[in-house]
This record gives sequence, structure tokens and C-alpha cells, in this order.
Amino acid sequence: MTAPGRLLASAPRVITVGAGLLQEALDAQAVETVPVAWRPPLPGTGEALAAVLADPRREQANALAVSRLTSALPQLVGVRRASDVLDLPGRTFLHAGPPIEWERASGPLRGALVGAMLLEGYADDEQDAEARLASGRVRLEPCHHHATVGPMAGVVSPSMWMFEVRDAEHGGTAYCSLNEGLGKVLRYGAYGPEVIDRLRWMDQVLGPALSAALALTGPIDLRALIAQALQMGDELHNRNRAATSLLLRELAPAVVDAAPGSASEVLRFVNGNDHFFLNAGMAAGKVSTDAARDVPGSSLVVAMARNGTDFGVQVSGLGGRWFTGPAGVPDGLYLGAYGPEDANPDIGDSTITETSGLGGFAMAAAPAIVRFVGGEVSDAMAATRSMYEITLAEHPAYQIPGLGFRGTPVGIDVTLVARTGLLPVVNTGIAGRVAGTGQVGAGLVNPPAEAFTSALLALADSAAQPL
Amino acid sequence: MGASVSGSGGVRGGAVSSDVVSLRRGVYHDSVTLMRVSRQLSGLPGVDVAIVAMATELNLALARDLGFALPEAEPGDLLVALRGQEAGAAVAELDDHLTRLSRSTGEAAEQPPLTTRSAARRPADLVLVSVPGEHAFCEAMDAIQAGLPVMIFSDGVPVAQEVLLKTLADERDVLVMGPDCGTAVIAGAGLGFANVLRPGPVGVVAASGTGAQQVTSLLDLAGTGVSHVLGVGGRDLSAEVGGRSTVRALRMLDDDPATALIVLVSKPPAPEVARHVREVVETLRTPVVSAFVGEKDLTEAAEEALRTLGRSVPAWPAWPGWSGKKAGGRLRGVYSGGTLCSEAALIAGRGEFVDYGDDAYTRGRAHPMIDPTLRLEALAATEPGDVVLMDVVLGHGADPDPAASLAHAISRAPATVVVALVGTEGDPQDLHRQAAAFREAGATVFTSNAEAARHARSLL
Amino acid sequence: MTVGTHVRRARTRVTGAASAATRPVLESQRRPARVLAAFPAGVYLEVRTDLEPSVLAVITGEATRLPNSVLLSTGLPRVTVGDEALVGDGTVELGPLSLRARRWWDPAPPLGEVARARLAASLDHLELLTAEAEPRTAPQRRESFPGSGPDPHREKPPESGCQREGGAWQVPGLVGNSVVEALAESCAKGWLLGAVSAAEQLVGLGPGLTPSGDDVLAGLLVTLRQLGRAAGTGRAVWLADWLAAAVTYDARTRTTAISATLLHCAARGEASPEVIAVLRGLTGGQALEPALRRLHRLGHTSGADLAQGIAIGLSAVLALGGPR
Repeated sequence: MTAPGRLLASAPRVITVGAGLLQEALDAQAVETVPVAWRPPLPGTGEALAAVLADPRREQANALAVSRLTSALPQLVGVRRASDVLDLPGRTFLHAGPPIEWERASGPLRGALVGAMLLEGYADDEQDAEARLASGRVRLEPCHHHATVGPMAGVVSPSMWMFEVRDAEHGGTAYCSLNEGLGKVLRYGAYGPEVIDRLRWMDQVLGPALSAALALTGPIDLRALIAQALQMGDELHNRNRAATSLLLRELAPAVVDAAPGSASEVLRFVNGNDHFFLNAGMAAGKVSTDAARDVPGSSLVVAMARNGTDFGVQVSGLGGRWFTGPAGVPDGLYLGAYGPEDANPDIGDSTITETSGLGGFAMAAAPAIVRFVGGEVSDAMAATRSMYEITLAEHPAYQIPGLGFRGTPVGIDVTLVARTGLLPVVNTGIAGRVAGTGQVGAGLVNPPAEAFTSALLALADSAAQPL
Repeated sequence: MGASVSGSGGVRGGAVSSDVVSLRRGVYHDSVTLMRVSRQLSGLPGVDVAIVAMATELNLALARDLGFALPEAEPGDLLVALRGQEAGAAVAELDDHLTRLSRSTGEAAEQPPLTTRSAARRPADLVLVSVPGEHAFCEAMDAIQAGLPVMIFSDGVPVAQEVLLKTLADERDVLVMGPDCGTAVIAGAGLGFANVLRPGPVGVVAASGTGAQQVTSLLDLAGTGVSHVLGVGGRDLSAEVGGRSTVRALRMLDDDPATALIVLVSKPPAPEVARHVREVVETLRTPVVSAFVGEKDLTEAAEEALRTLGRSVPAWPAWPGWSGKKAGGRLRGVYSGGTLCSEAALIAGRGEFVDYGDDAYTRGRAHPMIDPTLRLEALAATEPGDVVLMDVVLGHGADPDPAASLAHAISRAPATVVVALVGTEGDPQDLHRQAAAFREAGATVFTSNAEAARHARSLL
Repeated sequence: MTVGTHVRRARTRVTGAASAATRPVLESQRRPARVLAAFPAGVYLEVRTDLEPSVLAVITGEATRLPNSVLLSTGLPRVTVGDEALVGDGTVELGPLSLRARRWWDPAPPLGEVARARLAASLDHLELLTAEAEPRTAPQRRESFPGSGPDPHREKPPESGCQREGGAWQVPGLVGNSVVEALAESCAKGWLLGAVSAAEQLVGLGPGLTPSGDDVLAGLLVTLRQLGRAAGTGRAVWLADWLAAAVTYDARTRTTAISATLLHCAARGEASPEVIAVLRGLTGGQALEPALRRLHRLGHTSGADLAQGIAIGLSAVLALGGPR
């Protein structure tokens, strides 16, 4: 029977969207219905939504973009020094989030930049570093502009070592620095002597050892590793314990072979940091979302990133443009005596995990940490379920056992964000507001709606106009 | 939920009226639901005015015009503006209503879908869109892209969007009914404003909802059932839209084994569209009766359909009423259905006809098939000697008991009243009970609008 | 009208949908009825009337829409066998509920015209599909008397069914039965006397609420009438008329009340959507195999029995229409 003929074969099952009166009339007739809990779109987006949905390129463009995102095969292929692989001419530092200058930079970003000045020997002390940074003699560029992502402050300077992740499907490459551990660390804006000493050790011992080890192991399949970690209770943003263990298992023999002298301290360092995998996972997310970039007409979000002041998004169909709104203060649990008043607004490129269908989107996989972000297991399930409303696909490899091995929601569509008013669920660490403090907590954060609505308005301006 | 309440006016609880205005954030209800709540509140003793509406520009302006002092609001807020001696007490009633509403939507599913796109992941055959017109396009687009036929009940959808939806629907081989499609029946299931019809051999393609209701109700009264009613929207046969859905619907009914005869109900189409439709009709194996209002009245169309099927044409049920009032003045048409109104005006050939279902009267208030207020006012404003001709449309979605408010107004109206009662014996409102109530109120009641119009003319 | 000691009380008004076949009973004068059987998804009501269907199935969404069904939009009331009810004046009053129909469906939707060549190809396809389930012995039937077993017309829950997609087919209850074979042969030859005497032996044959013999006859009657009309085979419709008269004549005394009512419906060409879907599959209106699988999921053997009757009917329609 042809598709139109099927409609007339028997009383239809009806999706109802709108007036309750019509739904009631169908209920009274015992007609099967699927009621939609419709809400008006975010204010000011009505016309733009029509223009973008009418764009004849959109459907195909989104299908292509999201299929590239979900078919990416990220592999960890190396660990290399930033000075060797990144284009950092003169005195250039990379940072997390959309572009920002020193004047608008928040405490933790400033702290991390000061630390990088000291690490690289560009300044003699804290005051000198701040003066030089304030004078504009150091170039600041977003990590995202260099195929790179950085957690929290995300500061990358030449002597830092980077995970190098290649997409075996589409050929892209992405980088992310090595994770320093928790507490007083540069990425949370701390720059005391212990921070700088640790970074020097990472440059001299950790980086070379891991680099040599990876040369022995060959590429490590991160897609498979992430898929396993999800089934072991990680959501790959705020919980990386399983993934770190799996990675350590892959690397340990090679580290011993490649760097017998330093193997024990290297392995002890990795073992001591449950988040060691996070940075490798972020590079995997970056290389996957980069594969989905630059599809004309696509409304797929390819980056969400925060610099501690602004929350920015990039959309596949709009090239490298950033759409921003003020970064919010996360809601969560605090370490020790810290409280919300100590918290800096949201910061870091780690939202690349949510952008690629992990982190907050995979909360249902990680019941162990629901308390950490202030909720119950049912909240975690609800969080993941709600993200299916704003995403274009379900990930074919990243699956959630608790949802019957349903794929994680992946591929945020700005039109669906505007239509439902549902913002991406983002898990995050919380940095101290004052430069030099370090981490103060972890929790959930709401992205600013205007980042998504302004991207939508720009898509509407660039839409092919059949209307 | 945040709420801000401001009171103004006189002493609360005393004989002085006061205003209560509040805004609630994060609460959404559709406009029809809210209008029903407003009506229920304004019917409470001690409440003069009740506005419960989403804080759109239009609704804010309405409230301001009524003299309410309003705080800053966004369209996503729920505006509550009450006036009267008991306005404060009515707020508690409102909370009861709203709690009941949110509970009924909340229980539907653990996590209901938020868009048609997401709902279409579940098994379904059709999408019924009745969100405000400016938002209908997105939902309809989702339906078409999911390969599902869609009925767009919403009005106020720009014609360019309609053309785009229907062009895309042709590519995907799905039917778009509407926008502004008030009536459809698929294998007995009534969507929107539709009557309870017995199954049978007549398929209807309709660019007019009340026109389709008249034809199908008469057929049902004659004991002849209906296979399907496929609405296409009032603009489908315009030059811009080109009859795209009409042609698709005709072909679907032609292929449908349950349909032995097709009735096409519309206002006269644009000439080039009429030619195209005629060409398509000639290729069909199923006979087609065209009812273009103005060329043929709806009752004639129903009779022609019966004759084509070889069935006899009955005398259409009518109930003579006696009001004792003198007739001979002006003829006033007080209608809720657009096509019924134009049909009656054409037949009467004189008088003043108003379609209270027209956009001009439904902005900010529910359709007269649900909310009788404007027609009650019109009845009260008649003069002795006037003859009022009015339609009362029964069926799904319509006022559950129109006689409850209208019969009283008819008996008190200075004018002589003739009612065209469009409905079937299976309708929830009970055709016979409605007819009896109108007759007792002094109206003469016809089930054929054309006969009602001729009778009204004869009274002058 | 007063009804025994029945106490009038305020009832909750509910609405739903109903098979158009039930309309005459629902709209005639109010009559007493009693609960014949009660299952989780449906209640059978026997109405004191000469009209057919005299047994109504009041069902909820999960149950099969038998041609004598009234479908509730809410849950079923808790009632037990023997409870009194009232049917008529447009309502069914059952337990605390007063039910009205707001939608009518056609239990005998026309199939449209079909070419004999198409039906011939469908018969080959049907035989191929059922050959997959070639039985070795007739299956053991579980009891399903009123109140003591599951609803015979309810789709089997997944855990009890072995006929999921791609799985084995159900086996008819009377497979290899010589009377069924005689019925098939007589129908194909258009030998009325043979067909009628075989049919009379089958009425009420087998255990359960709808004995296998009745299900075979119901499938046959619906198919002869519906496909006979669709293919323009007047002799098939003629055979359907005579067989229907013979089978329904004393059905009320020969089989269960429910089964008798369903035979009356089948005599008029009325059936559940699962049966109609298979007939549409045979005329090319929809895919045959999934429709047949859905039919086979009904009851313990009801679906397979109905399918057996359909196959006999299809062969007869082809044979009675002249040489293939």
C-alpha cells in the first residue's frame, strides 16, 4: 500500500500538538494519540525558525553533518610538545572558549596565563607577568582556532605536551594538553611554585615518556575505549575513572618498555588522577565535531566553549563564527569551605564532551556521580532523555546500558534548542573566582540561551530563502 | 513559578470592585484552554472581567484597553487579570483549574515529546497541528520530513509557508490538510470540528470545514455514511496554492476501496485551478459531485450524492417553532461557519450577514462554535420585526451544549429566529435534544442551511 | 423498564468507539444484559435481544477489535461473571460506567475490485507461507472457558508467544480434520449440500470460547463474501449466503454465545482488523506476510483457524469463478 493510502486504512494514531480541546475530542473517541507537550519557542525566534526550517539545504546538511560527527573514529596517535605541533608564533598562548582579551579575562584565566608566563620564562614574577599580559604583548587565541581544546582555563604554552588524536575516518587531527591532576593546578588558575614545578616535570619526564610509549603501542582506539567506559559508569566529563583505568592498562607495559627509569613515577602520576583520560577524550570530541564543520545550511552545533566570561557556540553552517552569551555560575557541590560566592563563571572547552554526545548528555550512564551534581538517579535518566529532544541523532557506538543500550543523544540542533527552550545539560568543574585559587567544586551549569538564539538568527540570515 | 500580584481599586470584600493582576512565569497553556478557563472565571459571582491568557502583545493590549495596569511581561508569561468584588477569591478558583490542567498534561507520559519531530519516533499515522499560526510551520515541517500526513488546524499561517509545505509534501508523497483546516474525518475518527458519522461510501474533499459538516451531516441523517473527509484548507484552491492538496486528496479517495463517490466542497476556485481540478476529476474512476458554494448549495450537493448512489432523498428533518413575534423587518445572519454564512446570504439575497468565525472576530477569543458571547450579544441587539438566521454546529470540538446559552437568548431576543442546526444523531450534543430546546425557545429549526435560509426569506 | 433488583445509581459517563455492527443493538430500546465473561482487556456482555450481535465485547485499547466490540477510552470497570448490565438507548451501562460511542468503525470495509490473477498469485503465496508451518500433529489446546482461561481473542503477550517476527507459525486446531477437508472440497466444487453438511458438523467443534470449528467457518464466511464481491464472483457470494444461513440458523444452541455472535457477524462479512488486513493482503492492498503473522498471534489457535478458513475461502472464490 502506498504511503498516502495507508492513512485511510483504519482510524489513525494521531500525534497532537496544540489545543487541548482537540486532544480531548480524540480521547473521547478512543483514538490513539501521542500528545506533544508543546511550548512557544524562545522569545524572538519565531520568524528565524521558519526561515531556517524552510532552508532547502537544512535536512540533508544536518544529516551529513551529524553522520560525520557520529562516524568519526578518533585514535590516540601520539603525545607531542606544543612547540612542535602547534603554530604558536612569537609569544602566543592559547586559551579556552571564544576569543577574549586580558581586560575581560576572569580570575582563573588570568591566573593560568600568569602561570604560563612564569613557566615559559616570559616574566620574572607575578606582577611582571600581569603587566606584560596587560600591555598586550602576548597574543591570546582560542584553542578552538588551532584544532585544540583545553579544559578549564585551557591555557596552552609552547612547553606543554599534547595528546594528538586523529580521526581515522575523515582524517582530521586534534590536540589537548595533558591533565595535571586536581586541586591547585594551572587549568583552575593556580600558579604557585608547586604548580610550575609539576608542569616542568610534565615537560621533562611525563611528556617524553608517554610519547615514547605511544610510539610503541601504536594508535589507541578512543571510540572503543569511550564506548566501554560508558558501560562502566563514566559519562566522560565529570567521571573518567573507568576510561582512565582502561587507558592506563593500554599504556602501562609500553611506558615500562619505553621509559624504564621514570616508569614508576609516570604510572603513579596517571594512576593518581581519575581525570587523566578527560583530556584525551576531549581531543576525541574535538576531532569528531571538527569533522562535522562547514556543511552549508547545517544548524548543528560543532563547539560549545567558555572562557570564564563568555559562553560561545559555533554552528556547522556558519564557519568559524562565535555566538556568545554571559557564562553562568555552575550549580553544584563545593570543596571544603568554598561556596557559591567563591565560584567563577563557567569556564573551559570541556563542553566538547557534551557537544559530541557525552558528559551531561550521557548522565544516565553515570549514576555514581548524580549526588555530586546534586540529584538522584532518576534525574540523571531524565537529563539524558531530555537531550534527545534537542539532538539530531543517537550515537551508534556510545550506548547507555540503563536506557536499554540506547545510543547517547548527539548533535545539538540550534533550531531544536530554540523550539523547546531546553538548553544543553552541561557537567563541569568549578574554578575559584580569584586568580590562583584553583578548583572549588563541580556541578551543572546552564548555558545562556542567547548564544543559541543569536546563532539561529545568523542562520536565518544566511538561509536560502524559498519563503 | 514566580508570581507578582498587584491589587488596585477599592476596599476588598466590600461592595467595591478591585483589580487583581498577576504574571506567572514558565507556565504555558494553549489559548483555547485558557479562554475556557477565562469564561468559567468570568461566570463566577462577583467577577466582572477575567483575562487568563499568555502575555502576547495582543493579549496585553486587550487587557490594557480594559483599563488594567500591567507590569512588564514576556510572551512566555501567563497573564491573569481579574476585576470584580470577588476577584481575589477567583484567583483560588483559577489555581484549581490550572492545577487540574497541568496534572492532565503531566500524566500523559513520563516524559512527553516536546516537538512533532521527537513524537514521530513513536508509531503514528497522522499529525494534528493546532499551535498558534506563527508556530505551525515548524511542526508541520517535522511531520512532512517524518513522512507523516499532517492536518494544520491553525490559522494565520502565511501563504508562502503553505505553498512551501505543500510543495515539499508532493515530493514526499504525503497529504497536507490545511492550514486553517477545521474538519477532517479519517475512517470514522473526527479531527477538529467534525460530526459523529456512520461509516459509508461517500468521501469528501473539503476546502470548507462547515461546508463539509453540512454535507456529511445531511448524508448521515439520510442513513448514508461517509468513508473519509479530507480537509485541504480554505486557500488550497486559490491561484497561489493551485489546489495541490485537493488533487492529492481526490486521488487518495479514488484509490480508497471504501469510497464509492466523492463530494468536493469549496467556494468557487480560481479559474485556472478549477480547470486543473476538472482535468484531474476526469481521470478518476470514482464519480465526483462538485459543490462549489455559489454555484450549487450544500443541500443540493448532498441530494445529488444520494441520487448518484441510487438512494432516495428524504425530507430533511425540520422542527417548526412558534414565537408569536411579528416578522417583516430586517434579515440578520448571525453565523459561526463561513461557508454556511455565504451560502445563506446568497440564498436569502438580502439582509446583513456576519460570520463571527471570521479572523476579525476570533482574534483574542475562541471560535463562536466554542464561545457564544458575541452571538449572544448580537441576538440581544436585534429589534422587533427582525428575522435572525443563525447556524448551530454540533460535533466534536464544538460547544458541548450550545442550546444551554443560545436557547435562552433566542427566547428573549426581540427578533424571530431561524436556526440551521448542523449535526447528526450520533453527535455528543444530541441533535434531537438541541432541536427541541431551540424549538421551545421559539425558533424554527432546520437541518438544511439552505432550507433555513429560504424559510427566513419567506418570513419577510 | 425495571430490571430485577437492579439498583439505579449515578454512573460515570465515559465515551469510546464502537463497531458499526453494534449500532442497532446500542440504539434500540434499552434491554437487560449480563456479564458472560470478564478478562483484563475485555468483558463479554450477553444482551437479551433478537438482534445480532447479541453478545457485545466491551474492550480496552490492548484487545482485538472484534466486530462486536465497543472500545472504551478509559479502563474497564471491575465486574464479574453474572453481573447485570443495560444496553440500549445509545448507551452501555456496565458496573459504575455509562458508555456512549463517539466514533463508529466499519467492521466490513469494502476491499475494492481485484483481478482473479492477483488472487491466484496470492493463493500461491499464502500456501507457500503456511507450508512453512507444516504440522506433524494437531496441537494440544489449553482450556479457555469463561473465567478459567485467557481471552481467546486477545493478542498473546510476548512471553507466551513463539510466533514473533520470523518465528514459527501457529498451527490450526483442526489440521488434518476430514470434515474441514470435506468443507474445502465442497466449497471449491460449489457443492452446496456437501458444504452445508460439513459446516453443520463444524459448528461448535473444539474447546474454548471460540471453538476451532467456528473460527474456520468465520474465516471462510468472511472471505467468500468479501473476496467474492471484490473479484465479482457471484457464486462465491451465493455460497456465502447459503452457508451463512445454515451456520447461523441454530448457532445459539450449538456453540458458545460469544462464538455464535461472531458467526453471525462473519455471515455479514464483518471481522476484526486482523482478518480484514489479511484479506487486503490477498488483494494487494497491503503486504500479506506481516498481516498473516499478526492474525496468527490471536488467541491460542484462533488466528490460525481463521487463516485456515480464509485459505479455504480464497480457493473456493478462485474455483467458483471459472477455470484459472
